[in-house]
Amino acid sequence: MNALLALMKPLASLKLTVVLLSLSIFLILAGTVAQVDQGVWLVVDSYFRSIYVAIPFQIFVPRKVAEVPGILPFPGGLTLGVLLFFNLLAAHLVRFKLSWKRAGMITTHAGVLLLLVGEFVTGAFAKEGNMTIAEGESTNYIEDTRSCELAVIDASDAKEDLVIVVPGRILADSAGSDVSGGELPFTARILEWMPNSRLLGPMQASPAQLARATTGFGTQVAAVPVAVASGVDGAGIDAPAAYVELRSGETSLGIYLFTTQLRTVQSVDVGGKRYDIALRYERRYRPYSVKLIDFRHDRFVGTEVARNFSSLVRLSDPAQNVDREVLISMNNPLRYAGETFYQASFAPDDSGTVLQVVRNPGWLLPYISCTMVTVGLLWHFGTHMAASFRRKLA
Amino acid sequence: MKGFPRYFPIIVALCVLAFMGSAIGRSFNAGDRARGISLEEIERIPVSAGGRTKPLDTFARNTLVRLSGRQTYEVDGVRRPAAEWILEAWADPSASATRQVFRIDHPDVKSIIGVTDTSRTRFSWKEMEPKLDEIVRQAELAQQIGRKQQDPFQRAVSDLYGKLAEYAEIRALRTPYVVAPLAAGEEWAPLVAPDPTERGKTRISDTESARLFQAILVTYSTGDTVGCEKAIAAYSARLNASLAPDMQKGAFEVVFSRLEPFYQASTLYMLAFLLGCLGLLAAPISPERWKPSFFRAAVAVIAVAFAIQTFGLVARVYLQGRPPVTNLYSSAVFIGWACVPLALLGEWFSRVGILSIAASFIGFATLIVAHNLSASGDTMEMMQAVLDTNFWLATHVVIVTIGYSATFLAGFIAIFYVVGGACTRLLAGDAMKALPKMIYGVICFAALASFVGTVLGGIWADQSWGRFWGWDPKENGAAMIVAWNLIILHARWGGMIRERGVAALAIAGNVITAWSWFGTNMLGVGLHSYGFMDSAVFVLTAFCVSQLLLMAVAFIPTAKWKSLQTA
Repeated sequence: MNALLALMKPLASLKLTVVLLSLSIFLILAGTVAQVDQGVWLVVDSYFRSIYVAIPFQIFVPRKVAEVPGILPFPGGLTLGVLLFFNLLAAHLVRFKLSWKRAGMITTHAGVLLLLVGEFVTGAFAKEGNMTIAEGESTNYIEDTRSCELAVIDASDAKEDLVIVVPGRILADSAGSDVSGGELPFTARILEWMPNSRLLGPMQASPAQLARATTGFGTQVAAVPVAVASGVDGAGIDAPAAYVELRSGETSLGIYLFTTQLRTVQSVDVGGKRYDIALRYERRYRPYSVKLIDFRHDRFVGTEVARNFSSLVRLSDPAQNVDREVLISMNNPLRYAGETFYQASFAPDDSGTVLQVVRNPGWLLPYISCTMVTVGLLWHFGTHMAASFRRKLA
Repeated sequence: MKGFPRYFPIIVALCVLAFMGSAIGRSFNAGDRARGISLEEIERIPVSAGGRTKPLDTFARNTLVRLSGRQTYEVDGVRRPAAEWILEAWADPSASATRQVFRIDHPDVKSIIGVTDTSRTRFSWKEMEPKLDEIVRQAELAQQIGRKQQDPFQRAVSDLYGKLAEYAEIRALRTPYVVAPLAAGEEWAPLVAPDPTERGKTRISDTESARLFQAILVTYSTGDTVGCEKAIAAYSARLNASLAPDMQKGAFEVVFSRLEPFYQASTLYMLAFLLGCLGLLAAPISPERWKPSFFRAAVAVIAVAFAIQTFGLVARVYLQGRPPVTNLYSSAVFIGWACVPLALLGEWFSRVGILSIAASFIGFATLIVAHNLSASGDTMEMMQAVLDTNFWLATHVVIVTIGYSATFLAGFIAIFYVVGGACTRLLAGDAMKALPKMIYGVICFAALASFVGTVLGGIWADQSWGRFWGWDPKENGAAMIVAWNLIILHARWGGMIRERGVAALAIAGNVITAWSWFGTNMLGVGLHSYGFMDSAVFVLTAFCVSQLLLMAVAFIPTAKWKSLQTA
């Protein structure tokens, strides 16, 4: 027991707390300015949910001013969070003494521990996705707009489609080389991979750009790469695109343009068998479906400023005997089957709705934590304040 | 304290109250007339712009502020009210075109319109008319690249183009929407709108409201004084019958705009600041008589200023139907407002006088910041759907803003402590003991408010889009403030720092708070960003550098601190 205490003493030091908090502030600052160039989720993963992060000096200096080489090795958010957690825990174990005077601080710090746990649970287990539904249609899958997949669909069975998917990161890693094997009925040569792209219409694209694809919609529209959506640009969604040559053995089946921006599927004939192909955001299918009955988007009179969005949907889950209408609007989400549906955005011309779908087993923790910290701090500072007032008035 | 010093604070307070009384009196009836017609009722006529129903007076003021940086304009060297300017734009466009209301600062833009006199900053439509094509061409060139990449000239010329377009829209009566919904099923509409049946043609609205409004303009432009006053009375009566709540609010808003409570408060804070400084200077000469007298006078003036600022905040809450903090402008007003009672509470505890100086300084400085933020127009603009919830605005936004306020207050008290203590003898004695306690107390409060406010923000985010914490720049800024306050508290509890160290770190807290408040908006964008700011980058940098220099003062060894030396 004494050995454990001896081990915990240095871990319980207030100096360590101050150092860890200082490092955290710097990490948060770096993770904020890094968002000028990078997407917020990339930053979250590499800065705040990592063990270690290499911070480029460049992020602190605008590229216009100077090019700065070099990196600063730094502990990641996970490391700092875990250390803070144990620092706090050790401090209370070593100095634990229950008294009315200390009750406030104990409650507060227990709340902080819970907050750290909550963020860890969110980082490890929370899943976010989008559900895009056109008016009058229904959807039974959630799209993860942070990753994409190349879906090859064999629709020859009248009852069920057979879908073979190639994850987007494999496509990205294979840029310039071939993807084949598995159940893939052809070889895909990735001629160009664009993490984020812009589409050029028939009038905007040059003949050379349109000539890059030899078949499919790529002969009508062209894609050009653009910088990935950065964190400070708002929650932008990347639209990946690729020029891919499909080959069967030594014969070319044509060069295709695939992009998540067009929902049209393109087909290819391999040895007399037809496959539909599309680059789409990664899908997770659900046993229930959501049908959009009506989407409303009200604006303030005479402006484009949104006043309210709402989606009237029909939720159907035959296995659970659920079939009901729900109105989802800003700040009024629907919670169902462990998932929460938020009104997030809308399709162009208000033709459909975009719901953000979140599954976060730790969603309740911040609520409890916030209450504990607030009560604890009010108790602690309140008793001190009351004592000062008494002295002053005495 | 005997004799005149005893009565001095009372005299100051009475003077200030009398001054305010007359300002309030004037704002109820300004007595402005144009073409022999009283503007009183016409200023209250409601219009709709930016999605908000507001009196014509407010629209005219906001537009003039955007175009020229002032709420009034000049006719032959005489300042005239904004409402007269907008009436002239409609009734006498050729005279309106000669009014110098377009502010241009960039010398290259001036040279485009052929002006060589660099001292002039305001120009008329007529002066620019021959160069309109060139301005449009330059603006279109500039607009082809994003706002972020534009150089100062390109931004300036785009801004000018925007101002000219705005003026043209107003002159053509396409904006604001002046046709009020008098009958059921009607909506606010412009008097002149594109004709849906014929391309390129316009159509004049023919509702009852449109006819009544037009009658005012026609009689005004022909100089028919009697007819115009009749027309105004007729329209007002009709509006009162159908839109009574809007009319009541409008009448109040006109009074509010004339009173300019935040401007009045800022002058009073300045006065209080000067009185406080006199108190400090009097300390060595007349420590028993004039020192407390000046300090009391300062507190009295602060109390009046605070009352007016409170009235202004409450008035905005009434007019907007929203909690007090809805945008960057109102956050500046609110931060100062929240600091003042905190500082006065500290003053009550410590009686050192210096906290009243800090209170008046912060009150003044934040209102100056607010004034500069109001240049973009209507400070009571409508809110994006996701922000449109009174509950979270009232809890998260207000509490987190109080947290910012307290962090700033601690930082400013620390500045007074460090500079006053190290460089002057003014703080010798009780003040040197009391101020560190105040700094510490305020930081405790700041830690509480900023933590609770930030977590409430997370809960709001969880309610709205299912993400408690998204690591977006504004959230990160708030987290940095919380962490900074915690560092100060834990370092002090651990004995790592004492009075001087707490003060130095509290000053650094100003840098972090300024970063979170403004710097994160300058990065560009995100859900929380309120608008683009250019010149503010420079101001922010200068502020941060000044704070670091002040921090350096704290590192002077205590043996050299003048207020700690025995005389």
